[in-house]
Amino acid sequence: MSDAGVQARRLLRRQPLGVAGAVVVLGLVIAAIFAPVLAPHGPKDTAFGQFVPPGREFPMGTDNLGRDVLSRVIWGARLSLYVGLASVLVGITIGSLWGIFTGYYGGIADTSSQRIVDCVMALPPIILALSLMAAVGQSVNNVILALTILLTPTAARTLRAVALGVSASPFIEAARAAGTSHLRIVLRHILPNCLATYIVLVTTNISYAIVVEASLSFLGVGAPPDEPSWGGMLTAGTQAMETAPWLIFFPGVAISLAVFALNLLGDAIRDIADPRLRGGLG
Amino acid sequence: MKSRIVTIAVVALLVGASAASFAQQDQPRYGGILTWFDYGDPARLDVHAESPLVVQQATAGVYSGLLHKDPDDPTKIAPDLAERYTASADGRTYTFYLRKGVKWHDGQPFTATDVKATFDRVLNPEFKSPKCGATLKPLVAGTEIVDPHTFQVRLKFPAPDPFLSAVSSAWCRIAAKHVLDKFGDLNKPEAQIGTGPFKFKKYERGSVIEWEKNKDYFIPGLPYLDGVKQFILVGGPTQLAAAKAGRIMLWDTWPPMGKAVSEELKAARGNEIDVYRWPINTIWIVFLNTTKPPFNEPDMRRAVHLALNRQELINKALDGAGVPCAMLDPKLVGEAALPLAEVEKIPGCRPNKDQDIAEAEKLVKKHHPNGIDIEMAFRQVGNYSDRSQLVAAQLRRIGIRGTLKTHESAAGYAAFGKGDFTLITAQDRAMDGTDPSDPFSLIWTTQGGSNYGKWSDPKFDELAERGLKATNKAERAKLYHEAQRHFLNGAPSAIPVGWVEGWFFTDKNLRNYKQSPSAYDNITFMKVWLAR
Repeated sequence: MSDAGVQARRLLRRQPLGVAGAVVVLGLVIAAIFAPVLAPHGPKDTAFGQFVPPGREFPMGTDNLGRDVLSRVIWGARLSLYVGLASVLVGITIGSLWGIFTGYYGGIADTSSQRIVDCVMALPPIILALSLMAAVGQSVNNVILALTILLTPTAARTLRAVALGVSASPFIEAARAAGTSHLRIVLRHILPNCLATYIVLVTTNISYAIVVEASLSFLGVGAPPDEPSWGGMLTAGTQAMETAPWLIFFPGVAISLAVFALNLLGDAIRDIADPRLRGGLG
Repeated sequence: MKSRIVTIAVVALLVGASAASFAQQDQPRYGGILTWFDYGDPARLDVHAESPLVVQQATAGVYSGLLHKDPDDPTKIAPDLAERYTASADGRTYTFYLRKGVKWHDGQPFTATDVKATFDRVLNPEFKSPKCGATLKPLVAGTEIVDPHTFQVRLKFPAPDPFLSAVSSAWCRIAAKHVLDKFGDLNKPEAQIGTGPFKFKKYERGSVIEWEKNKDYFIPGLPYLDGVKQFILVGGPTQLAAAKAGRIMLWDTWPPMGKAVSEELKAARGNEIDVYRWPINTIWIVFLNTTKPPFNEPDMRRAVHLALNRQELINKALDGAGVPCAMLDPKLVGEAALPLAEVEKIPGCRPNKDQDIAEAEKLVKKHHPNGIDIEMAFRQVGNYSDRSQLVAAQLRRIGIRGTLKTHESAAGYAAFGKGDFTLITAQDRAMDGTDPSDPFSLIWTTQGGSNYGKWSDPKFDELAERGLKATNKAERAKLYHEAQRHFLNGAPSAIPVGWVEGWFFTDKNLRNYKQSPSAYDNITFMKVWLAR
């Protein structure tokens, strides 16, 4: 058996749930990338009959406006992953750099920036996101902006703690004693040691971002109503919950599956990146 | 024999008691609070300056008009603050004889000075009055106080039906001069001082509006209710949940329920409610802004008119409850409406869309070979979201790609009034009455109160004005037919999707509530009472 095969078997044995999550996430990514090919119809195409139950022609039925639910669920994967990835990459990256630099340099900049983080984190996330959306208007990019603002302080707080721990390490003291500049210490020594935490934060927060996007869309302030968002589809489905339950079932399953799979994958990556946390509550 | 007599006596007693109980149930009963809902938060309450239905709902029972729609038969006009009126022989002067002893809710006496102040306000050319002013301005030449209880209106030309329809409109209610002097407008809750059957009690933004009984109401014995409570419920699921839980007693105004929702409600409430289908004298319009690209170009407006599939829109968004493409609904205005058989043959209105869509595509390509991206706006109320998605999907077929932009209800009206939009996907306009001139004065003429797209067509205006002035019914109908043909065969900006109908309910506990031909009328609840 090749090395890759052995490693795969080892990974499967050690992280079976993580592998299962990775498979589902891979499926979602493929659905998102190849949505124009995979979806049988356009996600906004209203040319079909309304409330057609799941069957051969429409495996997930049609909605109240005569759109194919399967096509919208597939296109919804693209929107959810785009929003999740973009907001998490931007938000966690900005927050991480903020936390690492202020944590390393300390002083008034660190104290004041942490008070800002306290203020933002004191607000309930969904209320903050609703207020931001009300202020900036309804669009996919504004959902990303709102999520970025939500995620930045979390990352800043977490990475600051890691940076503080690394800063107190003997090799950093040695680097300082050798006359290495602060910027070089941060870039060459602190940042690489924070990378594992950064990766874990990114993977675990994508599912959070997807849930928040779905919640905002469900409340009518997320993506514009005709965009194929899983949360928006749920809202439309609630109006015919009793007569057309498939309208809430399929997007509901999609959200649950995506979030569960991303959480499993995130946990597995965390365990691999930092074995000390394995089995812990973190 | 004795037992038979006893049996007969018991039966007679039971029958008598049942009859008495039944009779008692049909007798008006005092007390109780009526609960219903507003589909949005009105924010501004000025009945003369605003046009959203929620403003009317919030204030209807607080004010009285000179005339109003008869609460016992809303198809008829009846005296209100004017106990009677007379028209001069030439039909150009109307004299209103006002009730004496009427008091405003703050105790001040009501006189002709208040009526004059109201008319001066809505007729002021500088004052934007999208409903009352829009219908009265083309008609009224001047007003005069004859004595403290007599008021006279001079018309520019004899127009009995449009004038009386306007004066009895719920938007032409009389406001107190001293209140207008004090507040400058009628927007604030404190300024809601009327002569109506209820006093304005409370307005909690986004939550509830309450009225309480006016014990000094000028009609002795009325109202029966102790008060009215209106919950501000935004969004169909919330409204349906309130109806299913029995929190609201009435759903008789915009937005109508769809058929499936009404069936779900009927299943939940069973015999406690009456569900019925009703036309609400309201037209769904797609507005195009003619003052900026791309709809300053007549070809682009024509393309939208041709591409919109009214039958699909009515079927999918209104469960088929509506009259597609008609500018006037024959059911509501009679012979002045273009026959529906003729409407269905006009390009843009005909059910077979292939030819119209091909023509529309050509028109768009002529100006925008790669299509065009625009913003499509709508207020986030009722089922406008669904309607907007359908409109956007239909226009995408001809290369007009829309990004949907939502507005909160009051903010949307403000933006549309200022012309801050490119295309409005769904905006219903409800009529004040059933005179055929109403939709023309309100939507389509250059001076129309809701001419958001600033469309102006001299020939159309001329036909509408001649229709307004015509007193002979047949001649009037002919003029309006010509106006409708001219409009539908041109490049309009306020494009009619269709007249809206839908399903509604009343709680069986609610008595003496009469459905009105206008969504704005008969919601003062002055003669309504609760059986329990």
